[in-house]
Amino acid sequence: MNALFAFGRFEVGRLLRSWKFLTITVGFPVLFYMLFLGDRRAGEIVYGGVTWREYLMVSMCSFGALIAALNAGGSRVAMERAGGWARQLRVTPMPAWSYVAVKITASMLVVLPVVLLVELVAATFGGVSLAAATWVGLTALLWLTAVPFAALGVFVGFAVGTEAVFPVVTGLMFVLGYFGGLFTPVSHMPGALQTAARILPNFHHLSLGLEVLDGRALGAAHWLVLAGYTFALGALITWRHRVEESRGAA
Amino acid sequence: MCAQQPALCFSGVTHHYGEHRALDDLHLTVERGQTLALLGPNGAGKSTTISVLLGLIRLGAGHVEVLGLPPKEAVASGRVGAMLQNGSGTGLPPGVRVNDVLCMVRRLYSRPAPLDLVVERAAITTLLHRRTDHLSGGQAQRVRFALAIAGDPDVVFLDEPTSAMDVEARRAFWQMIRALGDEGRTTVFATHHLAEADQVADRVVVLHHGRVVADGPGATLKAAVASRQVRFVSQHPELAVLNSLEGVTDVQVRGTTVTLDSFDADASIRALVRLNVEFKDVEVTGAGLEEAFLALTSDPPPAADETGP
Repeated sequence: MNALFAFGRFEVGRLLRSWKFLTITVGFPVLFYMLFLGDRRAGEIVYGGVTWREYLMVSMCSFGALIAALNAGGSRVAMERAGGWARQLRVTPMPAWSYVAVKITASMLVVLPVVLLVELVAATFGGVSLAAATWVGLTALLWLTAVPFAALGVFVGFAVGTEAVFPVVTGLMFVLGYFGGLFTPVSHMPGALQTAARILPNFHHLSLGLEVLDGRALGAAHWLVLAGYTFALGALITWRHRVEESRGAA
Repeated sequence: MCAQQPALCFSGVTHHYGEHRALDDLHLTVERGQTLALLGPNGAGKSTTISVLLGLIRLGAGHVEVLGLPPKEAVASGRVGAMLQNGSGTGLPPGVRVNDVLCMVRRLYSRPAPLDLVVERAAITTLLHRRTDHLSGGQAQRVRFALAIAGDPDVVFLDEPTSAMDVEARRAFWQMIRALGDEGRTTVFATHHLAEADQVADRVVVLHHGRVVADGPGATLKAAVASRQVRFVSQHPELAVLNSLEGVTDVQVRGTTVTLDSFDADASIRALVRLNVEFKDVEVTGAGLEEAFLALTSDPPPAADETGP
């Protein structure tokens, strides 16, 4: 437990000190939100009683969570593995699962300021106005349900080498983001794409947020899909670890 | 199985990387407090041996114990330290100070070595406030050595530890390794710096194609093969005559310079005199471990596969 805490503090400190990484990660979704806000249809109703500018706030939170998790997990884990640091940690008494747990937790800590900043910009420039309790609930929900993205980031770091990790991270960002309905309201997509969106985690992350804005009950299916992704990615990370042990690589 | 409780014990260990057989029925026992050099060409199985001892590889066949425990448990107990080869990077996390990494790694162990001692041992006092991504190759190696001994380990594994160091740094480094042995720690290091294996280790194990081809003190290994070189100048060297000399195992003639490998240099020189071979400028040298090593590993491999990590 002591080891876990020591390594956790070290990792979080390291992440918070890399301000270039943080600025880009936090800045990107905010910039996107501002760009989309200039859209003439920003006031149009796109989901129940939710306008496009409100929708965008949730979708950019989801996009930001995805970017933060893929970069904090994927790129950094892949580089640490290539550089030999991950292997050095494996010959300390710290169990292998601690590394994964700490990486996922550290990614989650980056997601929180991303969500907060997008919300702040939406409230300030996007004219989004909510009750205090709704803000708190929405923030907690969007943050905590970002766990599958953090797991995805760590899995990408385990599965992909440094030479491929940047294209893979960028590809995942736009494929999951676009087809998950973050740049275009899902209701405006062609029928086939609307179906496709339902298998992607961002659609369900987004939907939970929209349901809060629209004052609806939260759909059980969204929780189930997000939990399923988390579980499956956890299993994939474990599997990669096993494969490496029997091969003797990394 | 391992009878008493030595520091390390390998029994019938075989490991494959795909088709390539990296370890081939390896048997090896290392007593506590011994400093052992694993010597061999690339692909001989040195790194694989160390990876197996650290529990980084799950075994196909065989039995391994470190301090009487399965390797993973030995590592988890905090009694093992290691400095591994580090691929493309420094083996250190970027963007932090050396001090931060060292303090964090010490906290991973239940009874770490005193910080001052580790810093002094690894000679990194001046590096503590440097960022890990601003270190030279040799400096990074020293920091990684500090990490390897941070947990006050009973057994230390070092995989080609001096590969990024210059001659001076190397000499200093080997003094640190000797100090580990003097404190009763078991030390295993892989190297292809033959002279270093000879000078630093109590025992040298030569690996080739995943098998032990020689095992003993460096001096014994040298004695095991043609141990002297006799060199002289002769105006008309006759190969047939030279080959027939007592003790001679190999003859090389370059122009007028003759080099004889001999297991009995005195007898060879007496034979030269007796047979009236004209010669001058005689020089007798002991063959280094390098020659011994080449002689031991020059056999063709049983399985024709040279590739592998």
